[in-house]
Amino acid sequence: MSNVKQISVFLENKPNQLTGVMKLIKKSGINVRALSIADTKDFGILRMITNDTDKTCDVLREAAYPVKVTEIIAISIPDAPGQLSRVLDTLGEQDVNLEYLYAFTGTSDKAVSFVLRVDDADKASAVLTDAGIIQLTENDIADL
Amino acid sequence: MERYWNKDIECMPREEMKKLQDERLAAQVKHVYENVKYYRGKMDEMGVKPEDIRSTEDLHKLPFLSKADLRETYPYGMLAKPLSDCVRIHSTSGTTGKRVVAFYTQNDVDMWSECCARAITAAGGTNEDVVHVAYGYGLFTGGMGLHDGSHKVGCLTLPMSSGNTDRQIQFMRDLHSTILCCTPSYAAYIGETIRDMGLTPDDLDLKAGIFGAEPWTEEMRRSIEQSLGIKAFDIYGLTESSGPGVAFECCEQNGMHINEDNFIPEIIDPDTGEVLPEGEVGELVFTSITKEAFPLLRYRTRDLCVLSRKKCSCGRTLIKMAKPMGRSDDMLIIRGVNVFPSQIETVLIEQGYSPNYLIEVDRVNNTDTLDINVEMNPDQLSDKIKDMQDQEHKLAEAMKLMLGINPKVHLVSPKSITRSEGKAVRVIDKRRLIDFPKK
Repeated sequence: MSNVKQISVFLENKPNQLTGVMKLIKKSGINVRALSIADTKDFGILRMITNDTDKTCDVLREAAYPVKVTEIIAISIPDAPGQLSRVLDTLGEQDVNLEYLYAFTGTSDKAVSFVLRVDDADKASAVLTDAGIIQLTENDIADL
Repeated sequence: MERYWNKDIECMPREEMKKLQDERLAAQVKHVYENVKYYRGKMDEMGVKPEDIRSTEDLHKLPFLSKADLRETYPYGMLAKPLSDCVRIHSTSGTTGKRVVAFYTQNDVDMWSECCARAITAAGGTNEDVVHVAYGYGLFTGGMGLHDGSHKVGCLTLPMSSGNTDRQIQFMRDLHSTILCCTPSYAAYIGETIRDMGLTPDDLDLKAGIFGAEPWTEEMRRSIEQSLGIKAFDIYGLTESSGPGVAFECCEQNGMHINEDNFIPEIIDPDTGEVLPEGEVGELVFTSITKEAFPLLRYRTRDLCVLSRKKCSCGRTLIKMAKPMGRSDDMLIIRGVNVFPSQIETVLIEQGYSPNYLIEVDRVNNTDTLDINVEMNPDQLSDKIKDMQDQEHKLAEAMKLMLGINPKVHLVSPKSITRSEGKAVRVIDKRRLIDFPKK
């Protein structure tokens, strides 16, 4: 199974919150590989994958940000019509529930990468492998 | 073994205490009638003469005093001694309006420090202890009150005052403070800071805390006791009757013994003013029977609580008052429902949240709104929005069960709500600016 670590950070939904995090990351020389924000009226959850998860967590915790690490699945699929649909069908057929997903860029302009957060990561990983869908490891992402 | 500061008084048989109260009350009424024109006017208006008050049974014949009276007579109208006999002034925080100033003769200061000495002794304090006073010093009675009481017991007294929490903790460690005196919200903050510094209660020598000056809950008590590794004792008082020490808690931690040799308590119906029997909830009223300079008779505290004469395992015979449910000043009426901030605090601690919160009450389209800002618990952070919103909903549900009305709960960042070093500000009532009638 894939073991890509995603960092989640609690931020209030008001001005200058994300910039606080990004300044710390910039200062520490960390590179963000993938990022998305889920927002509510009161707060947002910033989710990101960086080239150094441990360091990122240390830096943020030091600055008193609530931080949590979860394992997610990262896939790389051809940049062509119907490809994401094929992934979703594969998961859906096996009753794997998708909580959220977001896209991020790799180095190839012929492929696109996605973070998938599912209810059953082990099962999803096996199903995707069977369907021949490429899963990225942490090293793959760090080396991007 | 239970220690007493003044066993003769603290364990005095009821009949003897009643006799002492009767004598002191009669003399006090005479003193007030002769020296305080304002109160004499009130008594004359009701047709009551000092001779009519011979014992505590006659107390109900006397007129009440309220904060409004003290504002009206500010600053000297309640003074019963020449200023040349007075040695000190203290003042209320003035959070609910104009300040009230109180005057003290040397005897008044001595009586007050005697009361605080009883509280410190009941919390286990002796001359071996280092008492760390982190109440504010100055016009506020908290600092000076516990300070003088600590002196009286012979404790090594650290007059820290409030604020500069890092320094507080450094002194606690370097000088081995054993008893901490401050507001409960500041005690909670000190506990939080100690944890953040990577320290545990084992790094401190604290064994007890004496906390008062604002309402706090049993849940908050347990949480402070854990975070500081102490036994936490409640203390009650108000500037109008001297300061902290009017009542204090013993090892039973179940209600506070009132220093009845100085203060006679009554519980009244806040609407009718009628005296209620023991055991009923009502407004607490105090009559000071020994104060010389600022002797208030039947002063309405606005605190809602219950009195009990049940035998206490500590051996004290002094009547006990339950932890006040809150000043009626703190009570919010939201959509017609009575809401106490302490109820919100109870729910937060039960659900694993920090007791630092901010209540905002407003009126939108003629309907009251209640918003509660709660610091999220970092241990409960989830990457899934659904989980985070569930936390808000669960908290709102628990609040609704407790309060009877539906609040909006907002999770905010940890530590984003200002910590208080004195009395905590928990409520912003925006309605008052518009059309909310204030009592």
